[in-house]
Amino acid sequence: MPLIGAPVRRVEDARFLTGQGRYVADLTLPRMLHVAFLRSPHAHAGIVSIDAHPARELPGVLACITGDEIATQARPMRAESRMAGYHPTECPPLARGKVRFAGEAVAAVLAESRYTAEDALELVDVRYATLPVVGTPEAAMAGGAALVHEAAGSNVLLTRAFVQGDVDGAMRDAALVVGDRFRFHRHAGVTIENRACLADWNPGVGELTLWSSTQVPGLLREGLAALLDLPVHRLRVVAPDVGGGFGVKSALYPEEVAVCALARLTGRPVQWVADRREDLLTSTQAWDETIDAELAVNADGTIRGLRARVVADVGAYSIHPWTAAIEVVQVISFLPGPYRVEHYRGEAWGVATNKAPMGPYRGVGRPVSTFVTEALVDRAARRLGMDPVALRLRNLIRPDELPYRSPSGVVWDSGSFVESLERARDAAGYEHVRAEQERARRAGRYVGVGVACYVELTGVGSAIPASPGAAISTGTEGATVRVDPGGTVTASFGLACHGQGHETTLAQVVAEELGARLEDVRVVSGDTAAGPVGTGTYASRSAVIGGGAAILAARALREKALAIAAHLLEVSADDLTLGDGRATVRGTPHRGLTLREIAGAAYAGAKRLPKGMEPGLEATRFYDPYFGTASNATHIAVVEVDPETCAVIVRRFVVVEDCGRIINPLIVEGQAIGGVAQGVGAALLEEVVYADDGQLLTGSLMDYLVPTAAELPAVEVVHLEHPSPTTLGGFKGVGEGGTIGAPAAVANAIADALQPFGMELSELPATPDRLFRLLSRPRTTSSPETP
Amino acid sequence: MKPVKFDYHAPASLDEALALLRRYGGDAKILAGGQSLMPLLNFRLSRPAALVDLNRIPSLAYIEEHDGQVRFGAMTRQRMIEFSPLVARRLPLLREATKWVGHLPIRTRGTIGGSIAHADPSAEYPAVLTALDGEVVARGPKGERVVKAKDLFVTYLTTSLEPDEILVEVRLPATDAGAGFALEEFARRHGDFAIVAIAALVVPDGARCRAARLATAGAGPVPVRLRAAEQILERDGLTDAAIDAAAGRAAELVSPDSDIHASADYRRHLTAVLTRRALRRALRVAHG
Ligand SMILES: Cc1cc2nc3c(=O)[nH]c(=O)nc-3n(C[C@H](O)[C@H](O)[C@H](O)COP(=O)(O)OP(=O)(O)OC[C@H]3O[C@@H](n4cnc5c(N)ncnc54)[C@H](O)[C@@H]3O)c2cc1C
Repeated sequence: MPLIGAPVRRVEDARFLTGQGRYVADLTLPRMLHVAFLRSPHAHAGIVSIDAHPARELPGVLACITGDEIATQARPMRAESRMAGYHPTECPPLARGKVRFAGEAVAAVLAESRYTAEDALELVDVRYATLPVVGTPEAAMAGGAALVHEAAGSNVLLTRAFVQGDVDGAMRDAALVVGDRFRFHRHAGVTIENRACLADWNPGVGELTLWSSTQVPGLLREGLAALLDLPVHRLRVVAPDVGGGFGVKSALYPEEVAVCALARLTGRPVQWVADRREDLLTSTQAWDETIDAELAVNADGTIRGLRARVVADVGAYSIHPWTAAIEVVQVISFLPGPYRVEHYRGEAWGVATNKAPMGPYRGVGRPVSTFVTEALVDRAARRLGMDPVALRLRNLIRPDELPYRSPSGVVWDSGSFVESLERARDAAGYEHVRAEQERARRAGRYVGVGVACYVELTGVGSAIPASPGAAISTGTEGATVRVDPGGTVTASFGLACHGQGHETTLAQVVAEELGARLEDVRVVSGDTAAGPVGTGTYASRSAVIGGGAAILAARALREKALAIAAHLLEVSADDLTLGDGRATVRGTPHRGLTLREIAGAAYAGAKRLPKGMEPGLEATRFYDPYFGTASNATHIAVVEVDPETCAVIVRRFVVVEDCGRIINPLIVEGQAIGGVAQGVGAALLEEVVYADDGQLLTGSLMDYLVPTAAELPAVEVVHLEHPSPTTLGGFKGVGEGGTIGAPAAVANAIADALQPFGMELSELPATPDRLFRLLSRPRTTSSPETP
Repeated sequence: MKPVKFDYHAPASLDEALALLRRYGGDAKILAGGQSLMPLLNFRLSRPAALVDLNRIPSLAYIEEHDGQVRFGAMTRQRMIEFSPLVARRLPLLREATKWVGHLPIRTRGTIGGSIAHADPSAEYPAVLTALDGEVVARGPKGERVVKAKDLFVTYLTTSLEPDEILVEVRLPATDAGAGFALEEFARRHGDFAIVAIAALVVPDGARCRAARLATAGAGPVPVRLRAAEQILERDGLTDAAIDAAAGRAAELVSPDSDIHASADYRRHLTAVLTRRALRRALRVAHG
């Protein structure tokens, strides 16, 4: 049975489930100090003075360092991009001159324990001069608004537009235009493990090691080397076991810069483990966009054009390396969805405010774009009296139209948009659910069905940089595969797993391509000293790019192993097969050599190798998929709304996804279910709330509500398997998809359930209080959608 | 999220505990199940000089019936109450309420005394205590006193107990056979504190209602006894119209606050919805 595609149980689970995982907080080094950061109580204020003396006097405290002092050790971060209309911002490791959001680190106390360090924080006397708080993009763009970054000259950090055709003309000529102002509120990417890092400076060799709970050790190494004035090869960044990332751990954070600088400054290892409050205050947040969007359709339901203006609240800093454009530009990139849209204009603004910085979160931009487009499609169907599935089927890009260049310029290399919708419709028993819905309504119960189709670009190669002119390359990854003299295989990657199961899936790829036994393959990642140059794991890239590199390296080794075996067995390599850890002569199964015997020969050198062959059994290969490949799915949610309590219960959830060739169906299913859980949370529960004065009101998990198993339905996952025509291995990314479709499907289901009340839903999360206000609004007979 | 330094004492008797409280002159905190106190300490919102841990005083955990009352030692775990046959028989409303308190691990540590002394207005036990006209026994330097539910809750997280008093016992009148009860709650997630909850008890008497008891959680700074709504039922019986009228009246009797989870208007609306639902279900329970 082939290993690629096999439902292999995750090899890492035994470790995690028995508490044997090793996270940054589990690491301790001799002479290690603990750092606690003093965090600004104000959202926007000048720092007048800092008196750290009393803190330094406390027994057990080694140092209390301020922004000005650490500035001699580390430069401020600056996320560059040549995108027109973009203003970078400077973010120092500790605030200097002023603070820009409540929770920004102002000073660092180094002590023998975290307890002492926190006691000392209370003794640091900081005098602030409060500044007007820039609370919303509207306020930030108003004339005379205070500037978050004086040096940027404006609170608008970026503007961007994608235009195709004549969208205004399309709107004029269309039989129907539906539109609304949509709002997707601010979101936090809550990981089980809070952020944490530990830095150790070795003055003898002039080398710094950083262990960090990060998705991107490679990006961190490059970024930190520049900020700390160290050659890249004097920095090692290790991501040990990491308890979830979801995009939140894909940026370089000021705390990471600070612990490195502090370790070098004090000559002692320095550890910081964020508590939940710090994590909610300072980790990058997501979405927070207002979208004015209109969809123009013909009387028969054919989409003619789509027009949107998206304003994003990007918070206080443009994060390194993704910039403040990461979320909002993806919204306008993906708004047209998997539909044929001839005329399009999408405009984006990224506006700075005094809140925690905006960053990438599972799905990036697409949860928001899918919410908006799918809501408009449903409204168009309702206004035309069409079934929402029928209207979608009319507009989805068909297989014969692929590859298809979307109006924002993204090329869909492949896709099963129509098929996934049809299969989802059948899997959900759509007609049956509609009939149930009718019966329920007659009994005074409000059931709704919501459909969401999406397509996303995964495994993005070098042709599409993270942002135009970005200083980093995110399109390639490498794999080093080594067969040691013991015949066991180590495959090392620049990727960094934080829950995806790479130790299983990448081992499956390597074992099959090389012909090794699965249990003989060990995957190593997350350590810049242990693998080839790479960046890390984000953007649904690891299976595609890392898997591609693994295939190339494993194939190179297979060829060499076969050549060695052929030489030793005195047969032609063509007469050998290599599988399950053994090279065997075709037709003579008892004649063969194990991988261990072949490796033994490889390292024995010239005596046993074909003439001229280099000894060793190790290969490094890099892979660049160039454009990347399209991954798609349809989600269908069935919800019930209690119009009295305004409670929403998700009754059913169907996912029909196509991630190309499947490496491991169990893991694909797990990714889909986990993503849906986060998408349902986004639709119903999770919302970051700031007070008008910029104070975070959701600073604990009592107030920031993530869904629990009790709030989630069983998710039914159906796999379509159309291999990618453009990537090695045929893989497509699947890590983010669940979160992309779910908010839209749940939102549409709620709107569908509430049709008897004549209302639409344009704001997420659909909290009970919001639904209460919607349902209490006086009903109008005229449709709110008429432009 | 590390607490300020504090002394820790684990006395073996109540008298020792009282002496310790006196010694710290109001600067010590009682530790029961720790499910509410520990987060407050970690956030440094509570900064006592000492903790007096009641967990080593075995005599503080019991459930017994006495004089038509079910009496609970303050340190009785919520989980014990959930599975007590006595509670199931004699105080079924409390049993139902217990299932709404947090999650299993929390109920395993959390105590009835802690829940009531903590006085979170969104908590279930204070609502039940209020609905049933229960009382607590407090012991202090001057001996024991009995405090009625209506005199206990002052405002958010504040009771009329003195800092040197220990809540030692909770007393709830046992429910007569033939009574109906229900606790209707709306929370954002399973196990969360109530946005609003209504505890209801009715004693039907043919077409009439001999007694009705209603109290809220989550609809103001303290649990609210909805006496004027009860009176409608005691006057007009448990008809649909009377239940609707009582529900409408309930909404007028509360003055909830707004927070990030729910506006005052929505809480008021929920008070009516849940009162109606609780009464209807209580009536069904009474009719078996
Ligand atoms: C995630 C989570 C969810 C929860 N959900 C709910 C919920 O839905 N509903 C609910 O009601 N509760 C909920 N709780 C709270 C939980 O039920 C607590 O057990 C309860 O509020 C406090 O009881 P405790 O025994 O843990 O008291 P502690 O936390 O030890 O003490 C709480 C306070 O009461 C004081 N105190 C304790 N005992 C005494 C005494 N005998 N005399 C005088 N003062 C005393 C303490 O000094 C302290 O101020 C939740 C808690 C958590 C962590």
